[in-house]
Amino acid sequence: MKKKLLSVVLCTAMLVPTLAGCGGGAEAPAETPAETPAAEAPAVEEASETEDAPAAEADSSGEAVTLTVLAGQSTTDAGIEEMIDEALAKAYPNITLEWECVDWGNDFQPKMQQYMQSGLPDIMIGKAQDVATYAPQGILGEIDAQYLDRGLDAARQNVTIDGKTYGLVYNALYQGVYYNKDMFAENGWSVPKTQAELQAIIDDCNAKGIKPFASHMVDTWSIGNVTMQFAMNDVFNNDPTWGDKFRAGEVSFADDKMMQTAYQYNKLIYDNTYPETFSTEQTDCDAKMVMGEAAMKVSGSWSIQNFLDIDESFNFGIFPFPNQTGDSKLIFEPNITIMTSAESEHQDAINCVLDVLTGDKELAVEIYDYTKTAPMLKDVTPTFTNPSQADIDEYAANNMIVDVTLGNNQLVWGGFQEENAKDIAAWLQGDISFEDCLAASDARVDASSAN
Amino acid sequence: MEKKLEKQYFAMVFPGFVIFTIGLIIPLMLAVRYSVTSWDGMSKVKEFVGLQNYINLCKDADFRSAWWFTIKFTIGNTIIQNVLALLFAVALDSGIKAQKLYRTAFFVPCLISSIIVGFVWLKMFSNVLPEINELLGTNINFLLFGSGRTVLAGLLIANNWQWIGYWMLIYLAGLQSVPADLYEAAKVDGAGPISRFFNITIPMLAPAITICVVGITTGSLKVYDLLVASTKGGPGRASTSVIYQTYTTAINGRQYGYGSAMSVTLVLALLLVAVIQVKGLKSKEVQA
Repeated sequence: MKKKLLSVVLCTAMLVPTLAGCGGGAEAPAETPAETPAAEAPAVEEASETEDAPAAEADSSGEAVTLTVLAGQSTTDAGIEEMIDEALAKAYPNITLEWECVDWGNDFQPKMQQYMQSGLPDIMIGKAQDVATYAPQGILGEIDAQYLDRGLDAARQNVTIDGKTYGLVYNALYQGVYYNKDMFAENGWSVPKTQAELQAIIDDCNAKGIKPFASHMVDTWSIGNVTMQFAMNDVFNNDPTWGDKFRAGEVSFADDKMMQTAYQYNKLIYDNTYPETFSTEQTDCDAKMVMGEAAMKVSGSWSIQNFLDIDESFNFGIFPFPNQTGDSKLIFEPNITIMTSAESEHQDAINCVLDVLTGDKELAVEIYDYTKTAPMLKDVTPTFTNPSQADIDEYAANNMIVDVTLGNNQLVWGGFQEENAKDIAAWLQGDISFEDCLAASDARVDASSAN
Repeated sequence: MEKKLEKQYFAMVFPGFVIFTIGLIIPLMLAVRYSVTSWDGMSKVKEFVGLQNYINLCKDADFRSAWWFTIKFTIGNTIIQNVLALLFAVALDSGIKAQKLYRTAFFVPCLISSIIVGFVWLKMFSNVLPEINELLGTNINFLLFGSGRTVLAGLLIANNWQWIGYWMLIYLAGLQSVPADLYEAAKVDGAGPISRFFNITIPMLAPAITICVVGITTGSLKVYDLLVASTKGGPGRASTSVIYQTYTTAINGRQYGYGSAMSVTLVLALLLVAVIQVKGLKSKEVQA
């Protein structure tokens, strides 16, 4: 009898917390942001008030504040947190940042999901496409116009939802085909604009024993990234709402020839790169490019840091991967994007951080020089030598640049693009057919949108 | 007196029970609950979908592929690690010189994090071993992580390199507890080394075999960190385990409900395998 009683007591002890956990743990925090839309949140109202009283004054005599920061970083970004800490300590010694730096591709979204249950950090640093994912949840604070005005107007479009801007875009990456300028000059190759011209260079490379492309397909993100580059120029530039149509059942991967062409370009790269691409990491790949073992690499600005670290005299340029119609545009990606919590109790201190980030030009130049990225702040010019800058300027002057956030909002990265990339890899390896690869993308339609 | 003892037992069991409940039972219950919803992990709405997630799992080719890889990885590990660990243990127990040195050398890899082991073997297969090819002028394919056909072999090498020493120590402890009288009596009866091994060593090691087989099997079914650091589940999906698939589906793919259904099936499979193995192997155990 006593044993039975003991069993009942222990079972009750187990069930009570279990039911308690089921009943409230996960739901209660999630309700908070939904009940308090960003526009109505007190923190945002405070932020608006700081327009009258500059942030510097608002917190200069305040007590010590520690702000939590979740930084989803690209490979280029690790290390900028120390620069920001240093600049902040000079301007606002009472404000301290408590950093949590994670890899954007793998860990930013899981961390955000975790914090959406337990309470968001005061500041979140991600990419522009994250605004479309998290702003509709009502958890992001609106960025004060006085800080947004210090940035380029072009940076605002894809971080603005219903007229409210929830992200401050700090820098940008350019994506396309990096090419060895010296090698191109020695072999008499000019920048290709059409597939035929690109094929001619590939053929000449192969004839001369030069590997046309450097690639690192062991990184699935790399396959996903270049596929979106291809899709931008062959699909989204012609049809900016392709993703919406896909979800509406009007188009599909199995039927759309242009999307299939974008997938097929991966095969072109795979057939013209070194056999160990599925065992090669980015650093090794970039080294091969710098050492002259390959002529081109479909990549982004994140490779510049490696290129120049390996050989600061490496002479490279960039061109958009040629599309079927010969009118490819260079891909532009807003990268470091600062978002704030709508629920933060320290909005004044957050504004001080935004003040330093957008107002301290010395810090901005230091960050741009370190990350080897393009500025998105007005009147700030990095001092690092970027051999591909002349090409970028030319495409910009000819209005031949397109923001990839469009494609990333139409077909999201997490759960869709990155899963499709795995199927593309399996197809390239011969494990599945091209038709199966397309069918797998179609079957993933429910995961293609952020909301 | 009995009442006092019961109180003492209760006091001793209770803290562990609370920790176990908070750390395991509640998350498990929540996973079961989420598995019947279409929750995306972010929104407050957790729409009840009944068994739809489990029905979808049966049709999910990626999930089946993940299970197939996990099963192959588990079988490979269980056989290779048990056989080699036992052979190494027997060799070290035979009184060879520098026994302690070998024991330490075999054991050290299991002190390293699986993440580090993944990186080490990625570099080994991609950079270090191909250099040997160049030095020797040979053409051996060391790029095991680079193809779906060889990635399993590469991962088995990495995983076995890490864990054989650990299981070897368990076998070694078992061997050292076998009474020498049994071997002497068998020798007197004319039993040779092989006969002694199969008729004395193996039966006397049955408890250790139970521990090793169950430990290796359940550990292999849960493989994740090694994959994250080395193959990232690729090439393609060639080395995507059930846990890896569950994580990417639930977290990166924002399908928390569906991912929870995956994790529930894994827990059930782990329980089933462990129960079958323990029941089967326990019946073979003998006492000296």
